[in-house]
Amino acid sequence: MEFTRRQFMTLMGGSAATAVVFQACGVPPDEIKVQSSIQMPEDLVTGTDNWYATLDRLNPTSNGIVVRVMEGRAKKIEGNVDYPINLGKHNVVAEAGLQSLYDPDRISAPLVRVGDRGSGQWEEISWTDALSRLAQRIQGLQSTSGMAMVTDPVGSHLGMVVERFLTKIGARHLVFEPLDRVTLSAAMETAFNHNNQLYSQGRFVMPDFDIENAEYLLSFGADFLSTWVSPVRFARSYGRFRDSDNNRGVFVHADSRFSVTGANSDKWLYVNPGREGLLAQSIAQVIISEGLGDPESVRSLTADGSIDMSHLDPELVSSEIGVEAGKIRQIARDFASHRPSLAIGGGSAGAHTNGLSNLTAIYLLNYLVGSVGKKGGVILNPESPFSDVMPASSGASLDEWSNFVDEIGRREVEILLVRGADPIYGLPEGVGFKDAIERLPLIVSFSGRMDDTASMADLILPEHNYLEDWGTDVPNPGPGYQMVGFQQPVVRPFFEHRGIHHGTRNFADVLMVLSQVLGADLDLSADNFLEILRDGARKIYERGRGVAGDKSVGDFTDFPSFWNAVLQNGSWRDEAARFDSTAPIPPEFPSSIQPPSFGGIDTVAQDVFNLIPFASASLSDGSGAHLPWLQATPDPITTATWRTWVEINIRKAENLGIKEGDVVKVTNGRGNFVEALAYPHPGISPDVVSIPIGQGHSSGGRYSQGRGSNVLSILDTKRTEGTSALAWAATRVKIEKTGRWMRLPRFENTAPELAVDEGGHIIPLTSGD
Amino acid sequence: MVTTQEKKTEEKWGMVIDVDKCIGCQACVVACQSENNIPVNEEEHFNQRRPIQWIRVERYWEGEFPDVKARFIPIMCQHCDNAPCEPVCPVFATYHNSQGLNVQVYNRCIGTRFCANNCPYHVRFFNFWEPSWPESLKNQLNPDVTVRSRGIMEKCTFCIQRIRRTERESGRDGNELKDGDRALNTACVNACPTDTLVFGDFNNPESRVSKLRKKEMDDHHGRGYKMLDELGTSPNVIYLKKVDKEAKESSTH
Amino acid sequence: MLPGDFQEPRITQRKVLLLGVIGLGGVSGLVVALALGLFVLSAWLGLPLDVFGFNEGPDQPIEFPHTVHVQELGLDCTFCHRTVTKDAAASIPAVGLCMTCHKTVGDGNPEVDKLRGYYESDRPIDWVRVHRVPDHVHFVHEAHIRFFSDKMGGDSETCSICHGDVGGMEKVNQVRSLKMSDCVDCHRNNDAPTDCTTCHY
Repeated sequence: MEFTRRQFMTLMGGSAATAVVFQACGVPPDEIKVQSSIQMPEDLVTGTDNWYATLDRLNPTSNGIVVRVMEGRAKKIEGNVDYPINLGKHNVVAEAGLQSLYDPDRISAPLVRVGDRGSGQWEEISWTDALSRLAQRIQGLQSTSGMAMVTDPVGSHLGMVVERFLTKIGARHLVFEPLDRVTLSAAMETAFNHNNQLYSQGRFVMPDFDIENAEYLLSFGADFLSTWVSPVRFARSYGRFRDSDNNRGVFVHADSRFSVTGANSDKWLYVNPGREGLLAQSIAQVIISEGLGDPESVRSLTADGSIDMSHLDPELVSSEIGVEAGKIRQIARDFASHRPSLAIGGGSAGAHTNGLSNLTAIYLLNYLVGSVGKKGGVILNPESPFSDVMPASSGASLDEWSNFVDEIGRREVEILLVRGADPIYGLPEGVGFKDAIERLPLIVSFSGRMDDTASMADLILPEHNYLEDWGTDVPNPGPGYQMVGFQQPVVRPFFEHRGIHHGTRNFADVLMVLSQVLGADLDLSADNFLEILRDGARKIYERGRGVAGDKSVGDFTDFPSFWNAVLQNGSWRDEAARFDSTAPIPPEFPSSIQPPSFGGIDTVAQDVFNLIPFASASLSDGSGAHLPWLQATPDPITTATWRTWVEINIRKAENLGIKEGDVVKVTNGRGNFVEALAYPHPGISPDVVSIPIGQGHSSGGRYSQGRGSNVLSILDTKRTEGTSALAWAATRVKIEKTGRWMRLPRFENTAPELAVDEGGHIIPLTSGD
Repeated sequence: MVTTQEKKTEEKWGMVIDVDKCIGCQACVVACQSENNIPVNEEEHFNQRRPIQWIRVERYWEGEFPDVKARFIPIMCQHCDNAPCEPVCPVFATYHNSQGLNVQVYNRCIGTRFCANNCPYHVRFFNFWEPSWPESLKNQLNPDVTVRSRGIMEKCTFCIQRIRRTERESGRDGNELKDGDRALNTACVNACPTDTLVFGDFNNPESRVSKLRKKEMDDHHGRGYKMLDELGTSPNVIYLKKVDKEAKESSTH
Repeated sequence: MLPGDFQEPRITQRKVLLLGVIGLGGVSGLVVALALGLFVLSAWLGLPLDVFGFNEGPDQPIEFPHTVHVQELGLDCTFCHRTVTKDAAASIPAVGLCMTCHKTVGDGNPEVDKLRGYYESDRPIDWVRVHRVPDHVHFVHEAHIRFFSDKMGGDSETCSICHGDVGGMEKVNQVRSLKMSDCVDCHRNNDAPTDCTTCHY
């Protein structure tokens, strides 16, 4: 049958019109039916929303959240106002937890590899089968030291189960954090733990910072408004700090990168990379020499004046720091006179070869202004309220990872269990982890999604999403007093319909079943995780102090009502249980700090830059890359989304002929490179380029796989002296144009610019007087 | 639902935004996406300059390295009392209701896009695509908010679904609407970690927004201003100026 | 013939016949179109099936007789539709609720056997929806029940305002059009808000 053009058009038009008519009139078939379930839960009223309290496990410090649940589905996450850490606030990462629950690429049953490793060919097996396969392999080990487990920093009751399991089996534990807190904890320990009081079961308890009540805030490198340590708590505190009714505080941020935190400071100071410590020393020198400091602290910091600090005079060191001497002097005077004042440091300041001394010098500044243990200063935290439960540990150092890689190479490790961590993604290529694990006979992942490490595994035992799971948390750092957060399932497990042999399970329960199969007694109070948590809560109840919600523990008639109250409120807290030992005595001030050394290319040529990677405000260390909301969230500074970009100074880029969207090759000293899209902007130093961490996953589902590049892979393996942690800001890189161009997806300019004439301003300023 | 007999005075919903506190963290943006069933902005949507963000955070540069500053400001529908978008709609799909809200009626909208072109704040968004989610992500969609189909206009509603729900529930339980009630607050206000955004009823003299308006708009030293006020739109969103000790009474952009 | 040369058209019999056929066809086409238009219009304004007079209501997976439960046993609507006074949806009762009686009542009734079959095999029942408003309408039962029970007392009388005498229906069917004009008329008559955002958001 042949059509003329006219006939064809008529037919097309006719069918299109018919389609439109039917589309408009038809009711979608799934709306024609209305289901009546077998049993209706008591709290389910169609159309009524219930808000359940639980914990957000995606941020570096867990926040209390409430989840809106309608008809058995989680709809919205908001902050829990009763939770002492975040007091009702949350952030992008916490909000996007909903998408991790309903991630279309979640693993719904235990998987065993059938093709080559990493080929992505899997077969579903039952939990019984999977666990017996694993138990058999463990029993077949020649020595128990042939097994190791890599986890994220696990604490509280889950940490306890993990520790007991590993101790009984005799396996080793490595904690993985891409941007670890090793150096930070070590510096705080040196600064505040001079008389050994800040430990809880052998683990260092980080202090809290009372930004809210400070008058003057001096921060070095720590991006605390975005990703650092406890960002929601600090951002909330910062909001109060800025309150004009409450004597608006002054905030100075010294950093070698123009971060979100730097953008919000009253004064951002560019410091040469790795010289943050020298700046802190010079500030201390001014305060001490001008007699502005707290006399008692000055005596012990300078060992009764025996430490000579004259070589740290601002005039002598200003060129090395990169900040004018006059400014240093001014900041020192303001810092000493606007009390309470607070100094915090972290981020790239601690990620150089001299990072430990840098951070130590920074934190010691707090003694000079008498801010340690005071309102508006550094608040020391008490120990954990549980005698058998410890706060989360910080990550393993780079040396430990290198040793581990060597052991794998010598075939001393046969089984690797991985939970909640993605070391294949997060470790620099220079460590050789990715190549080493090919020699491992068995890799088992507990990941609920196909992250880069899980994709190389032989066996995957998927654990519940945190919104389907039980747990507790003893936050580190805490809010200044004892508290325990409680995590409860807000919805039934999403893969419950797969039946008990498939679907996901609680990680601790899996370990407990595994230990039973292996005949190891973990000496726990119960045989399932929920009962262990209840026993933990019972201990708190029996001690009879503190409150759950607004009711004190003594007022509960029985334990079940207390248990309900902690679940309903998300936490137990005791504001009276604070750090009450004697105030710490300051150690001696470090009079000299080694200059930083950089890995990679040594000469500072026109196209050689200091590379400062940073945790993306949305994707954080890459753990959020599979969530489309986070991918589509504009970076605050560049407004870029969905891709990896490299921030470069706008003038420097002009000289190098680089414009926005140019694909540039970023090469380190070993010849490893990544490609990223150039984003020139006026905020960054001409000596520095900055690349966000988070993209470049080789696996991980439709939203993250093969998207952008992974800057962690090109980091040089320089270590921080004293902690041997990865000095992740100590890499120099070469920048080359590849000649290709790609549009950088960014939010900026998607809306036309607002029509502003001379009279109207979008952001008018006031001096506030 | 509250019937007119029960109602004493109508509310006038509005917002106060303290630009000085905004850190640009985007928490409001994602909270809004989650609450209001806004489809995921994919990479191509950004490249075609068509992402949908009912609330957005704009970043303005000031100066250049090393004396550089970046300022953030959240912008959403200003719910103008004299809204330029309203008179141009040929089908009355957008109008001003008695509670001071600039309303977009999805089922009336025919997609002329006149309103978006006439909005000086660029806060109206057109659905160029049929919204779509992978099957499992649909579980998250808020049943209180209509999913907008292709070809119609959408914008910030001040989370009217929350207002309606709270009104209804307070009617049922015999409670008064409380200022600052988290069930009544818009999603962005609850999310904002620094309390940049405050939502409330300007007709209630005891509400936080009314008190802030009184202090910041009437007082000689107040920081209050309305964005693009010279256009005569009379917005229901009050901004508070950014404080910069080094600045004279000047401005950026 | 030269191009452009004008010639008187010759009226042949053939042409007259053709014109007649076209004319008749046109008229009947118009009638059909009018009838269709009328149908669409009346269906749009009212209930589509009512137009042809067979508004019986759909077949359900289980022939549930409201007559038995309401008229003979005297159950109140809210006995089964439990959440109607609490929130948006009236809700279809869970199978478990039916089984509180039907564990013992109704032996030998094939429909009750069907019900027990669902319960025992743990399958939900897919009822066919009778009343439906489009997605962009947010209708809340609770507020309407509250208003009308205050006005007229008794929940069951309140339900029948929109749903008709369901208690007397063997098969439930829709009695009101539930179009926007229907809603707005009722809102006007009862002095309820008619702002668009009362229902559309």
